[in-house]
Amino acid sequence: MDALIADAQKVFGKGFVENLASQGMAWEESGRDRSVVYDSNGNEFIDCYCSSGTYNLGRKNPAIAHALKQAIRETDQGNFVMISREKALLSEKLARFTPHTLDCFLFTVVRGEAVDAACKLARGYTGRSELITVDGACYGQTGFAMSLSERSDKKNFGPLIPDIQTIPFNDIDAARRTVTKKTAAVILEPVQAENNCRIADKDYLVALRTFCDKTGTLLIFDESQTGFGRTGEKFASDYFGVLPHIMIIGEALSGGMFPIGAMVFTGSVKSFFDEHPLIHLLTFGGHDVGCRVAAAALNEYDQVKPWKNAQKLGNVLKERLKEMAGSNSKLKSVQGIGLMLSLEFGSVEEAEGFCRSAIQQGVLVKRGEVAKYSVIIRPTLTINDQDLDKIVTGIEKALSA
Amino acid sequence: MNKISRKTISRNERDQIFDAFGKHISKGQIRYLTAGHLDILEGERDGIRFKESRSGKTYIDGFSSAGCFNVGRCNPQVIQALETAADDYDMGTYGMLSAPKIKLAKLLAEVAPGDLNRVLLCGTGADAIEGALKLARGATGRNEIISMVKAYHGHSGMSLSANGKDYYKELFEPLMPGFCFAPFGDLDAIRQMVSERTAAIILEPIQGEGGIHVATDEYLKGLRETCDQYGIMLIFDEIQTGFGRTGRLWASEHSGVMPDIMVLAKSIGGGLYPNAAILYRDRSELTRYVDSNPEFHLSMGGGTDLGCIVSSSVIEYIVENKIWENVAKMGARLLEGLRRLEKENSEIIVEVRGRGMMVGVEYKEEFMGILMADCLATHGMFAVYSGNSPQVMRFQFPTTATAEDIDEALEVIQKAIKLSKLYLLILGPLSRIPFFRAMFNKGDILVTFNVWLRKIAFWE
Repeated sequence: MDALIADAQKVFGKGFVENLASQGMAWEESGRDRSVVYDSNGNEFIDCYCSSGTYNLGRKNPAIAHALKQAIRETDQGNFVMISREKALLSEKLARFTPHTLDCFLFTVVRGEAVDAACKLARGYTGRSELITVDGACYGQTGFAMSLSERSDKKNFGPLIPDIQTIPFNDIDAARRTVTKKTAAVILEPVQAENNCRIADKDYLVALRTFCDKTGTLLIFDESQTGFGRTGEKFASDYFGVLPHIMIIGEALSGGMFPIGAMVFTGSVKSFFDEHPLIHLLTFGGHDVGCRVAAAALNEYDQVKPWKNAQKLGNVLKERLKEMAGSNSKLKSVQGIGLMLSLEFGSVEEAEGFCRSAIQQGVLVKRGEVAKYSVIIRPTLTINDQDLDKIVTGIEKALSA
Repeated sequence: MNKISRKTISRNERDQIFDAFGKHISKGQIRYLTAGHLDILEGERDGIRFKESRSGKTYIDGFSSAGCFNVGRCNPQVIQALETAADDYDMGTYGMLSAPKIKLAKLLAEVAPGDLNRVLLCGTGADAIEGALKLARGATGRNEIISMVKAYHGHSGMSLSANGKDYYKELFEPLMPGFCFAPFGDLDAIRQMVSERTAAIILEPIQGEGGIHVATDEYLKGLRETCDQYGIMLIFDEIQTGFGRTGRLWASEHSGVMPDIMVLAKSIGGGLYPNAAILYRDRSELTRYVDSNPEFHLSMGGGTDLGCIVSSSVIEYIVENKIWENVAKMGARLLEGLRRLEKENSEIIVEVRGRGMMVGVEYKEEFMGILMADCLATHGMFAVYSGNSPQVMRFQFPTTATAEDIDEALEVIQKAIKLSKLYLLILGPLSRIPFFRAMFNKGDILVTFNVWLRKIAFWE
């Protein structure tokens, strides 16, 4: 394993490895199965990071893996500009899965890109340029996504996308004042996973939708992490009962077997792509193999309905973690819903220290990207009671370390 | 063809597919493709060809999804590697270490030119371009980026800001400031534009979407000198030119000019699985920056275990089989044949140019791009014109093409040119009237006209 670390330092850099080490993650991820991963010595870790909400159906899901193997025997990527059977079939299937009225799609690959596509679509469709985001956000690493996110290092990348406004999360008055006929879109994550799992008030989301409807502004929900059952409902829009005009979904679409995501939008917004075909192109978007894998994953989601388990065990887990917070002063609070929970610590050092201890105790966790003093608990949605016990025990031991 | 033979689909099924696509994705795209006779559903695919799903008609793939199929379509070695891997791996935990990720990174460092030894794994080409631009700005502490007129680097925020075509940008402005555009190949323009505020110069060694413009050795050497003089990062976008497509493993090898940052994607996925990478030099400005800011570009969905296994297999195949040698040979054969056609049809062809299997035929009129796509499809070849330069038809066959394949391709192209001349009997005279020419060059109008023309085309 030392050889692996040495190699990593050479190709990825010392800083990269040091960063991993400070988070307790400088080891080789070798095996994986259902709710756990293994290092090269066979040590087991229950995955509570899940690549930021990707492995909702478990690691290396056999049904989806089978679909991948079959797909590559029968087809390949395809020529991305063409119409394809795979894109058509996936869109029909996905339309039956996503919330009503959100039945049009642009298939994407990495998260930030889907957000960028959404911002472009909003600007193109409304003819306006202003984009409104909220504080504490984390949308991704590409141009628009990065500009709209809260990250201290973005000032290093020169002037960013102009005409962006940031308003305080959950502040209805600020939204009322700021959303006008000059606004193309308002974007937010209904639950800010990386920001100590901060949850939107239902009233706030209802108000946002109202202001948007009044001004002809588009409402965008980034559901890269909340999507596919993590909140206890299929999508956060189901949980809160508020629909956006555009929704972003991430690699949970394939259950983590293939990099595919989507920008999901209403039929009226889709008219923009009818009028301007091939204006937003992705070589790997709508990959024929990926579409088949996603279709198989959707079958699994329909069968397994992991949101039910997320709700049930999410409640149990939250209760048990809250009890711990009561008796341990290091743990300031427990936030979140479903299997999207956050442990709040007093500082970044404490959070990272906790992560290192938790990993030693066999619970793989990562601190939040925005609220670095928080540690996000995101297990696969198919965990059982034993898994839950492992998580709780591991966290307990780590807290007392 | 593939071992598992797919039956052709029924008319009903085809209609259902088109309906669903139109309803959920874009009706406009269907209309546009139909006009160019490109409303083809790819069925079985193998080597350099694919069959149309409904009719079973065979097409030579002249587009390769913009240069993705550098190991041929459905390469058995790569399929085998992924099949085996799917038993043991998934996308992996993002950002963590694993054997497949390290193996690919080491392989890339090994086959990359000079001291381009450091790697950042990404998810897609556009994503990697963003990372490269961020790296340049962050490492130099400067903001200005010089890109090229007709440049094509992607459609996400920063990559789009570096794009040199208005159609892709206009409706989405304002984009990121700090980008200026120099005419491709013009060293004087570059020398006028650079300053101590310039972070990077970014270009494709051969402009793909821009119309297959090959950068001369002199130009590239001039860029390198200027960058060295001012401490500017030279970024080569080898997303389309990389992995053997130009007759050498990397396009930069032709000139011997090494960039500071190199971006790879497309063919790195073997036509089977998305992946991308940034390679950068082991020089202190870059390494210091990345070491101090290891999380400056997190590509969730990139650098996956499965993707890295596929990419390693792709690189191994390319190196074992010295793919670039076949590309150079076949590319030369292709160019020779096309130059013959150019001579015979000089009234409609302006120039033939390119390198290896990245070749372009420039026509006199913009609208000929879509017209030729139509004619080629009629005769069994799928080819696409350059997005930023519709008068340039591109030919990028999967690199496993043989001499017989190239000869067949040339025959098809010859027949297509003959057919296009028939169309031109009507379109030609009309296009001499400025009003009609303007209309034809506006994609929309030509699309409608072409659809109508196809309806009445009794000679098809």
